[in-house]
Amino acid sequence: MKINFKTPVVESREQRLGTIISWDGKASDLSKESAYARGSCETTCGEKSRKLCEIEGPFTQGSVCSEQMVECQAGHIRNAVLIQHSPIGCGAGQVIYNSIYRNGLAGRNLPVENQHVICTNLLEEDMVYGGVAKLEQSIRDAWERYHPKAIFIATSCATGIIGDDVDGTASQMETELKIPVIPLHCEGFKSKHWSTGFDATQHGIIRQVVRKNPKKQEDLVNVINLWGSDIFTPMLAELGLRVNYVVDLATVEDLEQLSEAAATVGFCYTLSSYMAAGLEQEFGVPEIKAPQPYGFAGTDAWFRELARVTHREEKAEAYIAKEHARIAPRLTELRTLLKGKKGYVATGSAYAHGLITVLRELGVEVNGSLVFHHDPIYDSQDPRQDSLAHVVDNYGDVSHFTVSNRQQHQFYSLLKRVNPDFILIRHNGLAPLASRMGIPAAPLGDEHHSLGYQGIINLGESILDILAHKKFHQDLASHTKLPYKQWWLDQEDPFILAKEENPLYTEGKKHA
Amino acid sequence: MSKLIEQPRYSCALGAQQSVIAIKRAVPILHSGPGCGDKINRLLGQGEGYAGGNTVPCTNASESEIVFGGESKLGTVIEGAFQVIDADLYVVLTGCTSDIIGDDVAQVTSRYQEQDKPIVYVETGGFKSNNYVSHETVVKGIIDQYVDKFKIGSHKIKRLVNVFATIPYQDAFWNGNLEEIKRILEGIGLTVNILFGAESQGIEEWKTIPQAEFNIVVSAWAGLEIAEHLKNKYGTPYTHFSYLPIGGLETTKFLRQVVAFGALDVDYAEAFIKKEEEKFYMHIERMADFMLEFRYGLPRRFYTILDASYAIGFSKYLLNELGILPTKQFIIDDTPEVFQGAIHEQFEKISEFRSAKVSFSIDAGAIQEEIRNDEHKSRGLILGSAWERDLATDIGADLLIVSVPVAYRLILNCGYAGYNGGLRVIEDIYGKVLDTYR
Repeated sequence: MKINFKTPVVESREQRLGTIISWDGKASDLSKESAYARGSCETTCGEKSRKLCEIEGPFTQGSVCSEQMVECQAGHIRNAVLIQHSPIGCGAGQVIYNSIYRNGLAGRNLPVENQHVICTNLLEEDMVYGGVAKLEQSIRDAWERYHPKAIFIATSCATGIIGDDVDGTASQMETELKIPVIPLHCEGFKSKHWSTGFDATQHGIIRQVVRKNPKKQEDLVNVINLWGSDIFTPMLAELGLRVNYVVDLATVEDLEQLSEAAATVGFCYTLSSYMAAGLEQEFGVPEIKAPQPYGFAGTDAWFRELARVTHREEKAEAYIAKEHARIAPRLTELRTLLKGKKGYVATGSAYAHGLITVLRELGVEVNGSLVFHHDPIYDSQDPRQDSLAHVVDNYGDVSHFTVSNRQQHQFYSLLKRVNPDFILIRHNGLAPLASRMGIPAAPLGDEHHSLGYQGIINLGESILDILAHKKFHQDLASHTKLPYKQWWLDQEDPFILAKEENPLYTEGKKHA
Repeated sequence: MSKLIEQPRYSCALGAQQSVIAIKRAVPILHSGPGCGDKINRLLGQGEGYAGGNTVPCTNASESEIVFGGESKLGTVIEGAFQVIDADLYVVLTGCTSDIIGDDVAQVTSRYQEQDKPIVYVETGGFKSNNYVSHETVVKGIIDQYVDKFKIGSHKIKRLVNVFATIPYQDAFWNGNLEEIKRILEGIGLTVNILFGAESQGIEEWKTIPQAEFNIVVSAWAGLEIAEHLKNKYGTPYTHFSYLPIGGLETTKFLRQVVAFGALDVDYAEAFIKKEEEKFYMHIERMADFMLEFRYGLPRRFYTILDASYAIGFSKYLLNELGILPTKQFIIDDTPEVFQGAIHEQFEKISEFRSAKVSFSIDAGAIQEEIRNDEHKSRGLILGSAWERDLATDIGADLLIVSVPVAYRLILNCGYAGYNGGLRVIEDIYGKVLDTYR
């Protein structure tokens, strides 16, 4: 199924990939049901044929929207400006992304600065008369203030509903300013999962920023990541390859040369799926089709594939052997220290698959995991990228595998049923609840922390650290009350509200 | 004047979710897009408290609600919230999606109000206002739809007052400020409904709002609407102190205004004031030598990039009690025009001998540019937000973060209001100064 770059509007994940946000069962079952090219289904499978059964409950808690992902991608391009075409509340999210941006820059030894984001501040009259005049003015102001190399525009729920002609304004201003002015359609209501926001940004970049007549750079590798520490440069240098980090912390020039690279890799298929497949489709830049680089099996296969695609096979084996040997002594120690510990992974989808493999390499028991969404397939549709199957096939099943889009109320019973010693998280929101249950959490702010061979050691050390401050959590647990009713806390099934016999359902019927 | 906003320091109307969270055991129910609550929580708030942050129920508007309406989804989320979330008060707040497509939220919510459930709804679509304004709307909504129905009585209780003094979370020091304001008002003989935060009794306190003898508004403008509303509704008179009282002079002035307005026992009140002032000025005296003898430069002039209540409060205190001179003051709370005159006047006569220039702007990108282009001859002090960090470094100024986003400091019960707050300001400013000492 070809990605459509003709239209400025990105197709949502649920439309492209059959993404779901609610599911509960064994990882092996989810993997089977995902109908990846495991059985009869070939890579040609399905014009949107993947239909996973989703448990839709009546009660939901706040989540995250696509626009936020645009903020943390397009808003983090160093010599560009992002305009949020929205009421000011959408701009409230800038605070966390600015902090991430600044610390990311510091981590890569780049000059620290505030991000360049401007909000058009739409008011009631703009809902009536439209907001394009304000948008146009804001684009001019952005130009005056920063003279950026590109201007991105994030749409909002409000502009999506009132139907502002953002594309028209953008294209008019692009002609006038002679820089790319890129509309990113990321209305919060348009997709049930926020990862569509990654795709929206990447869609705009491929359409309007990437160089259309690339001069190939045979030693350049695109690394689609966030703001993590620079671990790829030394790793890829082993193969004589250079790194082009995108999208966060990149310059517009870095984005322009995306089409010139020898290959594209990522640390997480949730993030990289769209752009990597798009670059291959539009510019023939090969996406590395392998398991993600986590644990021995994944990292070995990933590195070998990268070496194969970039014609550097002979160098790969030496590196792999060297790294295996290097981490072996400490890994043995860590395995002893972590023996009998139970871990729980609660992160984004593909990333969780990676973390589970690392925990199992460390000998940590993983009986449960929560992912915020599940893509039955990634954009490449290549079975070598089936990250969930990679876990199940190489490391065994996960008995309680749950898809739940940051529904904190479900998290209590999810943790209860596996009773872990610690949890791994990346996104805010779930750790406070775990904390109030006395369970420590390791917030993996640096997404590269657990990647590759060294990542196995890193994660092991982090777990030892967090286990050491268990006292804080136990103290908290004994002095706080959860904001949930006892009836709810007593439920064993986190999805009970979605089941027919649930009293709430009857209540709902009465009013229907 | 520019209309866009670079570097936001307030949120949209839905930002009033934080006002709800600040009421003990109250929970907002958002009928909005999926990211709204999370975004607001990033700007306004550190930590999610009892039922804020990711606990907040939300309909997470999707395409089908936009096309077919979101009323039935709202109904099931409300019912779920009753069943799952352990709260005393549920406040339905709408976002842009619901308000543009025109969901009949009143009708959905009234079903539960008829069953005497503690639930309230308020339209807070982001484009309608900012959260300074919608804070008033939400408080009025709770009064009209909840307090009025469940009020304990209607007769006035002597010496009972309601205080409307800060916008919780928008004022990052709200909890500490409210604690101090309650403490000093109790000191002069009042019983205080502080309504938000740790020193409040939660909704039991709200139920006695109609019984207050009078109301006290401590704010340049946000909150006045509530007092006006209560005056019309319950005939409760109010007194208005138009900025945050910080330090000895202004706190005493505030208390005396309340004493006069409420015809309180003057001797009793003055005895309290005397004791507080003695304590306050003992500390000031104690640090005088430091102020006079510190060799490596103290800030001599200050900028404020704050909301109106804070800007006036800080300017008066810094000038009149600490001797730091005001340069230009920037007010960033989108003050309605009708209140701007009174604020200008406050700065006109900021002290007996001095006036300060003030301008109103919501676009801090432009404000920072203006400050950057000033001449910076002596060591300056910026009272602003986390956005000012680089600016402060660039112009060699000290930065005290007072406004949201606070980002670089963690605030628990710290407050800047009152006598104790005044001392805290000194500790915080000169702590920063001393930290630059090699």
